[in-house]
Amino acid sequence: MATNYKLERLNAGRDYIADNYQAPLSLSGIAKYSYMSPYHFLRVFKDTYGETPNEFLIRLRVEQAKKMLITENFSVSEICEKVGYTSLGSFSSLFLKQVGVAPTLYRRKLWALSTEAYRFPSQAIPACYAYHFLGKLAN
Amino acid sequence: MITSIAHATIYVLNQDEALDFYKNKLGFEVGDDMKVEGDFRWLTVYPKSNSQLQLVLAEPKEGPMFTKDSADKIRSLIEEGAFGAGVFETENCQKTYEELVAKGVEFIQPPTEQLYGVEAMGIDNSGNWFSLVQR
Repeated sequence: MATNYKLERLNAGRDYIADNYQAPLSLSGIAKYSYMSPYHFLRVFKDTYGETPNEFLIRLRVEQAKKMLITENFSVSEICEKVGYTSLGSFSSLFLKQVGVAPTLYRRKLWALSTEAYRFPSQAIPACYAYHFLGKLAN
Repeated sequence: MITSIAHATIYVLNQDEALDFYKNKLGFEVGDDMKVEGDFRWLTVYPKSNSQLQLVLAEPKEGPMFTKDSADKIRSLIEEGAFGAGVFETENCQKTYEELVAKGVEFIQPPTEQLYGVEAMGIDNSGNWFSLVQR
C-alpha cells in the first residue's frame, strides 16, 4: 500500500483514466498526472489497486461497452469508437476475452432475456437482489 | 467455505444524490450502474483501493418485497439515522476527516481515540451513519 501522499498522487492518475477512458491514452501521459515516471507509476498502481493502469482502462471500457450494447441502439462499431478503440477487431477480441462472448452475441443474448427494450435482464444482477427488488426467481 | 463478501446493501433515499455523496464526497468509484428491467437501477460503489466489497446503493421502493407502507417506514427510519452504512477504513483519520469536513460531510463525532484505533463518525446524505476508522 502506498503512503497517503503517494496514494493521493496515484488517485489523480487513476481519476484521469476514469475521466478520459474514451480517449486514446498513453501510459506516459497518465503517469504525468501522478508526477511519476511511467514505469514507477505502473508498478505502484498495480501494487495499490491490484490491477495495472491498462487493465483498469480495459475494465472501464468494456463495462461501458456492455452498458451501451444493452441500453443504447448504437452499432458495435459506433460503441467501439465511443469507448476509445480505433480498431473494431481489437475491441471485439478484447470484449470476447473479458466477457466470454462477442459484443453482438452479448447484446442478442441479454436483449432476448429482458422483458423490456434497452434494459438489462434481471439475470444480469445477483439473484438475491433480482428476487428482492423485482420478485423474480431464476428458472 | 465462503471466501469473501462481494456486496452489501445500503438503503438510501435517492440513488442520484447518494451516488453524488459516495463518489464526489467520499471519493468512491462506481462499480456498476445498470438499468435493469422492472425499472430497477443496479448501482454499486467501492473505495478506489479495494474493489472486493461493493456497496449496493438501493432505494426502498414499493414492490415485491415492500408494501408502500413498509417502504415509507424504511425511508423515515433512514432519515432518523436508524441504519448504518458500515465502517470505512482510512490510513489517517484526522486528515481524511478534515478533507471530508471541507467537502461538507456532516460528522457526529470528530476523530477520537478508541480501544481499536482513531475513529470519527459521520452521516451520509440520506441519514445513514458511518464510522471512519484508522486502526
